[in-house]
Amino acid sequence: MTALELRRVSKDYGEGPAEVHALRDIDLSVEAGALVAVMGPSGSGKSTLLTIAGSLEDPTSGEVLIGGTALSGMSRNDKARLRRRSIGYVFQDFNLLAGLTAAENVALPLELDGIAARKARVTSMATLEELGLADRASRFPDELSGGERQRVAIARAVVGERRLLLTDEPTGALDSANGEAVMRLVRAACKRGVAGVVVTHDAQLASWADRVVFLRDGRVADQTSPPPGPESLLASGPRQAPGTGQ
Amino acid sequence: MSTSLRERPAGLGTGGGVPARRAMVRWAWRLFRREWRQQLLVLALLTVAVGGTILGAAVATNTPPPANRGFGTANHLVTLPGNDPHLTADIAAIRRQFGIVDVIEDQTIAIRGSVNTFDLRAQNPSGPYGGPMLSLVAGHYPAGPGEVAVTSAVASALSLRIGDRWHEGGHAWRVTGMVEDPQNLLDQFALVAPGQVSTPDQVSILLDSSPAARFHFPRGAQVQSIYSHPKSSGISAAVIVLILSTVCLIFVGLVAVAGFTVMAQRRLRALGMLGALGATDRNIRLVMVANGAVVGIVATLLGAVLGFLAWIAYEPHLETITEHRIDLLSLPWWTIGTAMALAIVTSVLAARRPARSAAGLPVVAALSGRPARPQPAHHSALLGGLILVIGLLLFAFAGSSNGNGGSGSLEIVLGLVAITIGSVFLASLAIAVLGPAGRPAPIAVRLALRDLARYRARSGAALGAVSFAVFLAVLICIGASYRFSDVLDLTGTNLAPNQLIVYTGCNNGACPASPPAPAQARAIEARVAASLGTHDVLALYTTSATLWRASTRNNNFTGTLYVATPALLRHYGITPSQVSPGTDILTSRAGLSSVTHLNLIFGNYFGNGHAGKGNGPGAPPASCPASDCLASPKIQTISSLPPYVDGPNTVITAHAVHALGLHLNGLAGYLIQTSQPLTKKQIYDAQQIAGAAGANIETKSAQPSLSQLLDSATAFGLLLAFAVLAMTVGLIRAETASDLRTLAAAGAGGTTRRTLTGATAGALGLLGGLLGTAVAYLAGIAWFHSTPGNLTHVPIVNLAILIIGMPLAASIVGWLLAGREPPTIARQPIE
Repeated sequence: MTALELRRVSKDYGEGPAEVHALRDIDLSVEAGALVAVMGPSGSGKSTLLTIAGSLEDPTSGEVLIGGTALSGMSRNDKARLRRRSIGYVFQDFNLLAGLTAAENVALPLELDGIAARKARVTSMATLEELGLADRASRFPDELSGGERQRVAIARAVVGERRLLLTDEPTGALDSANGEAVMRLVRAACKRGVAGVVVTHDAQLASWADRVVFLRDGRVADQTSPPPGPESLLASGPRQAPGTGQ
Repeated sequence: MSTSLRERPAGLGTGGGVPARRAMVRWAWRLFRREWRQQLLVLALLTVAVGGTILGAAVATNTPPPANRGFGTANHLVTLPGNDPHLTADIAAIRRQFGIVDVIEDQTIAIRGSVNTFDLRAQNPSGPYGGPMLSLVAGHYPAGPGEVAVTSAVASALSLRIGDRWHEGGHAWRVTGMVEDPQNLLDQFALVAPGQVSTPDQVSILLDSSPAARFHFPRGAQVQSIYSHPKSSGISAAVIVLILSTVCLIFVGLVAVAGFTVMAQRRLRALGMLGALGATDRNIRLVMVANGAVVGIVATLLGAVLGFLAWIAYEPHLETITEHRIDLLSLPWWTIGTAMALAIVTSVLAARRPARSAAGLPVVAALSGRPARPQPAHHSALLGGLILVIGLLLFAFAGSSNGNGGSGSLEIVLGLVAITIGSVFLASLAIAVLGPAGRPAPIAVRLALRDLARYRARSGAALGAVSFAVFLAVLICIGASYRFSDVLDLTGTNLAPNQLIVYTGCNNGACPASPPAPAQARAIEARVAASLGTHDVLALYTTSATLWRASTRNNNFTGTLYVATPALLRHYGITPSQVSPGTDILTSRAGLSSVTHLNLIFGNYFGNGHAGKGNGPGAPPASCPASDCLASPKIQTISSLPPYVDGPNTVITAHAVHALGLHLNGLAGYLIQTSQPLTKKQIYDAQQIAGAAGANIETKSAQPSLSQLLDSATAFGLLLAFAVLAMTVGLIRAETASDLRTLAAAGAGGTTRRTLTGATAGALGLLGGLLGTAVAYLAGIAWFHSTPGNLTHVPIVNLAILIIGMPLAASIVGWLLAGREPPTIARQPIE
């Protein structure tokens, strides 16, 4: 089943001489359980693609479908409900709301969707426990390390019945060990059937993906299916590191 | 992972229902707890507004003397002179007629070695009506012969304590207690049991009687009814405090809009994240509005606590000042409740605008921390202009209503609100022109002006608050100048602080109940003058003549037209040669001589119907027949006469008195002057002497002079404007700390920082001064539209201080204080 589908999506900013074509005729589909990495240089349109895929922005032209439902014609409130129920976001350097504990942050999308606080908290605790963060549940964001914050953000992105996980440079502000831990969680979510999109310009990170899409000047320059990532080493014994040839 | 949630609540629509709202309110509360310091300004202003209202309302309500002062619980007070040969029979007759009465006998006792006196008072502490006029401070009431209780002042004067023996007039009294009159702490007396005053100077009888009751009281009795006591015909003090509080809250609301806009900007990325998580616009609005409500509730509770504490602390001082006991809980609760509710509403309303602005922002823009593009200025200017016109119309209506005897208070408040809102919208236009206007300016000034124009939401609110401060100050100046420039209906200080008038005859239509005979009047004057220790006394005489303007105007001559006797002219150093031949009127009112249609009327002018019958269409016009009117009398302005409203500022000359065949009405009163300002004790003693003999006295009232009013209003406006600038310029510049770092990286130093802050403060001050003054003059013209001529008295110095001095000073202070390296930009409320 296709969790995310972009059909000839274009996005322009500005008008006249100041007009910028951020995306041009992008076609992309992400199946359930697949992890797609989007790579490209700065200004290539990676983040724009992610925001359009997540209904945060409307495309200038083209169509976006999430779980088979087209976003065009949806009201702001309908899109908000879609985000609450189907889409999880993880950004690079800020994710958690200050003033709310880790458990409350994770429970927030559920409460926004009308689930009672107590029930939402039970669910969020279960999610944190599965991610090994149960002992951090009552901590506030400024009491967590960078890696813990990102892991809590992932917990919030997958809590409930989310089927699409969109991450923008999720390990950009982390050291390699924490970065690997975060990607392991993303990968695990995909194994459960969640479709994932990771925007990055880090080839090491892209190696975790099932497929890599290269953007340049707002166009898909190339697509590839890289060799199995570092996690495959854990599953099936020694393998060659990505990027060193096969 | 098994994190799926199977049970989705049905029927919640897209908003998430109560759970979502609870989550938003919880987050708002947590943010407030974390970031209350960043909202200290709004918190402090609201707290002060609520606390000030509570204290102000409490003071205003409890300052006037009790309505039943001197009456206890009775509604009539009959005073019989002690020399009444049939005193006992008269008291018995009154008792028979009215049934239950309370008899209080007073005998004046002189304190040895002092001019002061006190009363030896026989009163039943359990009397039917006198209870509120008597309370026991210590010990017990005198129960029988030989026992006395004294007030603290008497105890102090006679060096008495409970248990001491006091010898007076051949009697020996044992002091059993300390007492006071809670309704009048200046009342000094020694209380004895009923029947123990053998030779009373005065007997007071408290009784209840319907206003219509007819009874022939004994000759010499003075009857006072509580129903005939002057009652306030206008708005109560508590309502005035509430109106002032509302005006204050409008001002606070403007500052709060700026403060909440800054908070919204600081939280923009967090709000964007909330949107990315699926929060609806309503959820996002709720976060900001809930924050406003939390700020309002916390500030209101704090203000209430501080206000009540201040009241508890101040209440004993107020008792000393007002000279009567005050019940700590005797407060205008509905005023206090309304003010507290208004404070919360103000905070919520102030948070709504930034909340709507933040909620309407695209999620991506919010996530990147980019504020919304300002609306085109002309849109808000059009709306502002419309609201301003509505406010001005309300003011015009209030002005007409006021002139016709109505209070127009509702129109004033609504007009003020509309004018303020209109000014805020117009402020956006004024701010928008700053950017282009600053093009030729140096880089730092240019940047400061562009920042103001770019972040119009917060700078517009700040400008609105500054202009509101100036608006209020200028409006007071205009109103005061207008009122004081009316030479017919003179306003201002009634008498000098060292002057006192004893009215032994009628004054402005108010006549003593039993006017004293001339010999008695002279005796009163002599006693009052002796009690004040002065011989500087001027007898004042009147005739039937007064000035009257025969035109359709509402206002007319007010004041007493005294006779320019030789003694009066001598008193003010006016020689006969200074008075032009044929002059009818001498006056210190500059401009009175040029008032048109001003006649000198006398005799039975009004009774003869010559004044016309109203000003309506078809009404017969006023006429000026020689029998009782002199058209356009010759008026000479002479500055030696006193400027005081109730002093002899306008006098009729002996020439006019003779020429018109006028007769003196007799003695109107005495103007008594001391070398030093009168003390409260002196005034009280004079009141007692005059009151006991059926005369009245007048001393300097609290009415301020024009210059005092103008200076106070200007100082008030300056203070408010500086306070707003100090608070908002700091906020605005703190939000551009990153720009400062960029500037510093580009080589800009402390001077650039100083110039940025100075230019921001100066520009806001200048625009606020101009806008506030312009709107105040529009409001003044609307209010006084029926007689706009007096608006030409422009308080130029005060306006110059507000329009030029204030921004200049703000600019200099901003420049001086901005030398410090700014702290790092405030931590974003998102992790």
